[in-house]
Amino acid sequence: MKFYFLSLSLMLLGALISTVVKENWKLKICSVFTFLSAILMLLPAAAVLLTGIPLAQSVYMSPVLGDVNFVIDPLSAFFVIVISIMSFLGTVYANGYMKPYLAKGMNISSHCFFLMMLIASMLAVVTVQNALFFLIVWEMMSLSSFFLVIFEGNKKEVIAAGIKYLVYMHLSVVFIIAAFVLLNIQSNSLNFADFNTFLQGNEKFANLIFFLAFIGFGIKAGFVPFHNWLPDAHPAAPTHVSGIMSGVMIKTGIYGILRVLLFIGTPSKSISYTFLVIAVISALYGVLYAITQHDIKRLLAYHSIENIGIIGIGISVGMLGLAYGNPVVASLGFAGGILHILNHSIFKELLFFAAGSVYLKTHTRNIEALGGLIKSMPYTALMFIVGSVAICGLPPFNGFISEFLIYAGMVQGIPASEIGLFLTLIFAIAGLAMVGTMAILCFTKASGIMFLGNPRSEAAANVKDDVARVMIIPMGILAFLTFFIGMFPQYIIGAVLIPVSLFVWNDVAYQIFNSIVGLMSGISWCFFWFFILMLLLFVVRAVLNRKSEIHNTWGCGYNKPNNRMQYTASSYANLFVSTLKPLFKRVSHIKKPKELFPKEAYYELEIEDIEEAYIVKPLIKWDEKLLAKFERIQSGNIQQYILFGLIFLILAIIGMIYFGG
Amino acid sequence: MINLLINILILLFVPFLMTGVIKKTKAFWAGRKGVSIWQPMWDFMRLIKKDSVVSRTTSWVFKFAPVAGFASIIFAAFFVPLAGGKAIIDIPFAFIIFSYVLGFGKFFSLISALDTGSSFEGMGASREACFSTIVEPAFFIAMASIAALSQNYTFDGFKMILGNAGGYGYLIIALAAITLFIMLLIEGCRVPVDDPTTHLELTMIHEVMILDNSGVDLGLITWGSAIKMLLFEALIANLLIPASLGGWETLVAFLAIIFALAILIGTVEASVARFRMTHVFEFIFIMSITALIILALTTYRIYGG
Repeated sequence: MKFYFLSLSLMLLGALISTVVKENWKLKICSVFTFLSAILMLLPAAAVLLTGIPLAQSVYMSPVLGDVNFVIDPLSAFFVIVISIMSFLGTVYANGYMKPYLAKGMNISSHCFFLMMLIASMLAVVTVQNALFFLIVWEMMSLSSFFLVIFEGNKKEVIAAGIKYLVYMHLSVVFIIAAFVLLNIQSNSLNFADFNTFLQGNEKFANLIFFLAFIGFGIKAGFVPFHNWLPDAHPAAPTHVSGIMSGVMIKTGIYGILRVLLFIGTPSKSISYTFLVIAVISALYGVLYAITQHDIKRLLAYHSIENIGIIGIGISVGMLGLAYGNPVVASLGFAGGILHILNHSIFKELLFFAAGSVYLKTHTRNIEALGGLIKSMPYTALMFIVGSVAICGLPPFNGFISEFLIYAGMVQGIPASEIGLFLTLIFAIAGLAMVGTMAILCFTKASGIMFLGNPRSEAAANVKDDVARVMIIPMGILAFLTFFIGMFPQYIIGAVLIPVSLFVWNDVAYQIFNSIVGLMSGISWCFFWFFILMLLLFVVRAVLNRKSEIHNTWGCGYNKPNNRMQYTASSYANLFVSTLKPLFKRVSHIKKPKELFPKEAYYELEIEDIEEAYIVKPLIKWDEKLLAKFERIQSGNIQQYILFGLIFLILAIIGMIYFGG
Repeated sequence: MINLLINILILLFVPFLMTGVIKKTKAFWAGRKGVSIWQPMWDFMRLIKKDSVVSRTTSWVFKFAPVAGFASIIFAAFFVPLAGGKAIIDIPFAFIIFSYVLGFGKFFSLISALDTGSSFEGMGASREACFSTIVEPAFFIAMASIAALSQNYTFDGFKMILGNAGGYGYLIIALAAITLFIMLLIEGCRVPVDDPTTHLELTMIHEVMILDNSGVDLGLITWGSAIKMLLFEALIANLLIPASLGGWETLVAFLAIIFALAILIGTVEASVARFRMTHVFEFIFIMSITALIILALTTYRIYGG
């Protein structure tokens, strides 16, 4: 635990130092300190994952907080590893990404400070086991990420996105507070360890707590219908921040759900079903809207919702396994879900970084204006394609392994005793299959239109070279990780199974885990041959293909094709989007050609999030109308305000006398 | 060992004959003499010998895609039980690996279509990607139902349907065969979903994606798609062949079913015109419906009676 505290204090020290050194040095300081603290953090975390014995230390903070327990149990250790590695790579990437901003003379002190604070608070969130202190670090995490989002605060849409994010995060914290207050009233303690005794065996209360916690943490994680902040906040934030937020920070929401699940022990059937349904809907909804998006960062943000959905499917299948007392299904579900947390953080950061590199070079996030970048930015293109294959869950990359485990859990659960479970699982399987194919549609669109073909605009045509090495290397590491986990899952799966053992603990667990490792080795062996087969074929093809002539693309006899004749992202997605018309709100802006010699005409199609259009916006309107009635109270007259305070105090005292007995 | 060898030979060479038979059947219905059934193989040999023409817009993706596609189809074939009724790689949850591995090849063939910067090839890619979003869930529903019925998570489960499904066994087998046959028509790009012999780019799906491929690449792609059709035919054959048959009888039955299906495909192509693109969806939904009926029957069998 010494390493843990040293690491956290190094992080805070780095945050302070980065504010005082010269501008060019700030991010370097950040990277160095995150690197050091990541190393220090990995030591205890790895030890916990290897031995399975949690580390704990209790620190007396203040009379209010009492003893605060810092615990690294296997679940925390897993998250600590994900957070420290991914955040470190993010800060390295930032060194390259922020250069143009530095050159413009922007001040990045606060950015560096909050970046370090975000990382430190995320690490604290997953290790603190005291309800009040947890809320404090949770709030620190939300606030520091808010300041990171509004880095380019002079832009109107960035501020709007930032405020939306802030509002959503505070809605989230209200529900979490409610859950913790209820637990505190019951157990008269702030310590997480005391909570579970009051939850286990009390199904109604446990359901209520899980419900509250699920909404609270679900807003952070981005489950539908609480996802609305994601597609706005990610495009607004600088890319490394989007990468860290999407790759790591939203996973703290999943951590919260898992932690509450640990308090509860065996979840009830009703909450497991509800969770599964919400997770499948999130996955489908996220990828459906991702297909319609042409802003690359918005597209990736919607894919975060999809992947959170997939993680949710894994976890809820695990919960169903627990609820029905089937340890095989439970282990496979939890293993798939928890492994997908790691996998998603890897390939989502990779994709965000690659997209950010493109943004840096072309200054546009609109994929319709890109194209042909594979020639000028070969490394970035390769990284993006690797990330795309991985996020679609295709073998031999890491996304496949976790999705395979989730599928395996569901298929194993099918011979169920109850018809409801049977049908739910079958439809969840079909849903996950549909998510996978839609992800293929979406990412062939994104990678094909962004990097392949001919440049569709001046900005894309003028790109001369790839981004700096300091940005390529983090991407390279991430790409290697996706490939490594995909090819050799049996070495990684152990790190996932130890946290899983917290949820599924009985005498057969050991046997099940062994068979999972065996299955993974089998898959690894298969993929090895797949890889060899591909290499062999590539050589054969190269030998057979003696001569190739370079020529124009076949234009069906037309010999002067230009770049505007290429297929576009909208037309690529159109067949799918028009088939599923009722699921989208289509707002079209048309200017029809007029007069004899029309000068200007355009057609623009915008696709709005139906949840935002039909639920959030009407709610806000209603809210505004309601609150407008209270405008009269705000008179600007201080005496009146003091009167209000007095009335409130009197009411409070009366209430206390009356109810407090 | 002999079994493995026979399987590999079947996998690599029967597809040529199968496409030859399809062509011959079409010719028969049209009253033509038609080309020899060996013609697809000669076509392939000719393609390998040719030089290729490559668009200047393309990158490594274009060169890698045919290899990735072919390798993924061959690798997917390892999980499908062929003549001997046993898959080369026997691993649980094979149908998941099977369709995801095929997805890997599909991903690269889709982006290789976009790699040429053509105004047509993206159209085919868009259609192919769109159709598979409906095909895959139906396939998974059918497979998962059969897995539940047979309590077996590999393709071997096909053999246990009759024993476990009671009176519904034949019905479920028939429906599963129809589901897989429609999937074969979609994935193999046959009429009425797509017409492999059409000459209008605007109406094509698979053919338009490979407009720019030539030489070895084109050879690999056509060979690969023939093998892919064989895989689905092999799945249907596994449904239909009773488990009681012995080694050689299975082989004969397997080949007979493969060629019977080829004749069926040829007949369908000769008698039906390609659907309009908007009606293709309706055709694909037939597959979803048969899959759902399989699910309903399975549910009734397990929980109803």
